Amino acid sequence: MHAVETLNLSKKYKKTEALRGLNFTVLEGEIMVILGPNGSGKTTLLMILCTILKPGSGTARIMGLDVVEDGTKIREILGIAFQEARGFWRHKPSAILRFHASMFGIDPKKREGLVEQTMKDLELWESRDKMFMHLSGGQAKRLETAKVLLQRPKIAIFDEPTSQVDLRGKRKIWDQIKALRDEGSTVIVATNEVREAEYLADRVTILHRGQQVVCNSIPTLKDAIAGGDIVEVDFEDPVSSTLVEHLKELGGSLQLSPNGNQLRAKVSRAEDWVPKMTSASYRLGAKISSIRITEPSLDDVFLHFTGTALEDRQ
Amino acid sequence: MNRVLTLAVFNIRVLLGERMWFVLSWALFGLQLAIFGSLMSRLVVGTVEDYFFFYSIGLIVIIVFESGADLGRHFVEHAREGELPYFLALPISRKGLFAANALYGATNTVIRVLPPLAVTLAVLGRFSVQGIIFALIALFLLGLGISGIMISMSFIAFKSVDIYIALVAGLSALLIRFSTVFYPLIFMPKIYEPVAYLTPLTYGADLTRWLLGFNPQFLLNPTLALAVVIAVAVGTIFLSVTIMEKLIEGVKAA
Repeated sequence: MHAVETLNLSKKYKKTEALRGLNFTVLEGEIMVILGPNGSGKTTLLMILCTILKPGSGTARIMGLDVVEDGTKIREILGIAFQEARGFWRHKPSAILRFHASMFGIDPKKREGLVEQTMKDLELWESRDKMFMHLSGGQAKRLETAKVLLQRPKIAIFDEPTSQVDLRGKRKIWDQIKALRDEGSTVIVATNEVREAEYLADRVTILHRGQQVVCNSIPTLKDAIAGGDIVEVDFEDPVSSTLVEHLKELGGSLQLSPNGNQLRAKVSRAEDWVPKMTSASYRLGAKISSIRITEPSLDDVFLHFTGTALEDRQ
Repeated sequence: MNRVLTLAVFNIRVLLGERMWFVLSWALFGLQLAIFGSLMSRLVVGTVEDYFFFYSIGLIVIIVFESGADLGRHFVEHAREGELPYFLALPISRKGLFAANALYGATNTVIRVLPPLAVTLAVLGRFSVQGIIFALIALFLLGLGISGIMISMSFIAFKSVDIYIALVAGLSALLIRFSTVFYPLIFMPKIYEPVAYLTPLTYGADLTRWLLGFNPQFLLNPTLALAVVIAVAVGTIFLSVTIMEKLIEGVKAA
């Protein structure tokens, strides 16, 4: 049984189709990262899974339970950290977490200790006496994550968990999410940050305009890009169109993207293409200052499968 | 503790933290009764016996109305401040969520109404525990009905808060002005009388007065009043629960 399964799931807001016949599955005990730009349908999907929104058509099941028919049962086993922190303006973080713990039936004897530990884990302990409305964006976001970590649900959903969080805080949150998975929770993370996806994902689903474009592990997705090597070449002068034309004629390159002094090439085999490229550059008088050979990033994967760069779509 | 109660207690604690609002509400009641109540009761001497008592119960009914409207506003504020999606994601049914809100609303009503009601009855020499209990039951039923209307209307706020505010303000003005909270039905001009029958405040006010021993010749038939108050409470609760279960969606995001 899949932990999460949607079949032909659609959702429309007036004329905007947020989800268009989405088929999506998450395996038990994995971290599934949903990667997509703003407006790709990530949040709508998560809102349907946590039973806040109703599907327009199609079905969605969590541990075999239908999101429309079994809403309350689903909410008992699912925790969500919203994209926008949902607090009570005039409450302190500890009071918000204690209330959350009591709603999810956490043993009152363990409650205080768990609240304290979770706040310390996410570096919120120092802010325990501040009102929610006085927390910084990053603190409010960490508090949102803390609710799910405190709850330890079977299905944990994080919607852009580290937006507005500083680099150190991001790493803390990511490690806590991984620990949650290691304890047996199934985790879904929606993000538009490639680095977050690379760090967390067991599998990645790329969502584009309300549809699943591809779903697999990151290495498999990278291997799926024909050629597989990315060569980044820095020139001393701006890359000329003549050089680009010559390099295209060399063969072996699948895509050439000049940008100022830099040329980014997606090639089938870097070891064959680089010597030919350096010779051609030498002949045309284009001086090379550095060459880097890397594997494709998730952004390249996104570009390959959707035809647009993730960054361009933000 | 049961989750519905946990949620209700959480909301009620927030409510109890706003003591100043209760004090202001009681003070306003006292002020209005002392100035308008005493003035108006002198103007209508000989027409309605003990108009001051009639007027004071009318004011109490208005507090119940405002308290019910508060519940609708409370619900809309939850939505606007982004708390509603959180509540909708909690492990309670939509009926449970409604029940928790209703408990909050009932507590709000009792706190706002009980002290002024008890003091007024004591000052007028009409205080009896039995009378207060029956009056509170009637007012509670009326409050449920008003809360149901307001929660049902709060659904409009998900489309447009401005329309919601305008509708509630307009409806409040009509429901209060055309009701019998300040004027007995028998003195109403014939063109207004049919409209007075359409506002639940008419039935709630006259039922409460009857339960507190006011002269029945100036009031609606108490059986009819009780039947309508119960029907409105049950009907609007059913409507709000249906709306909560079927229609309200906490957030829109693409």
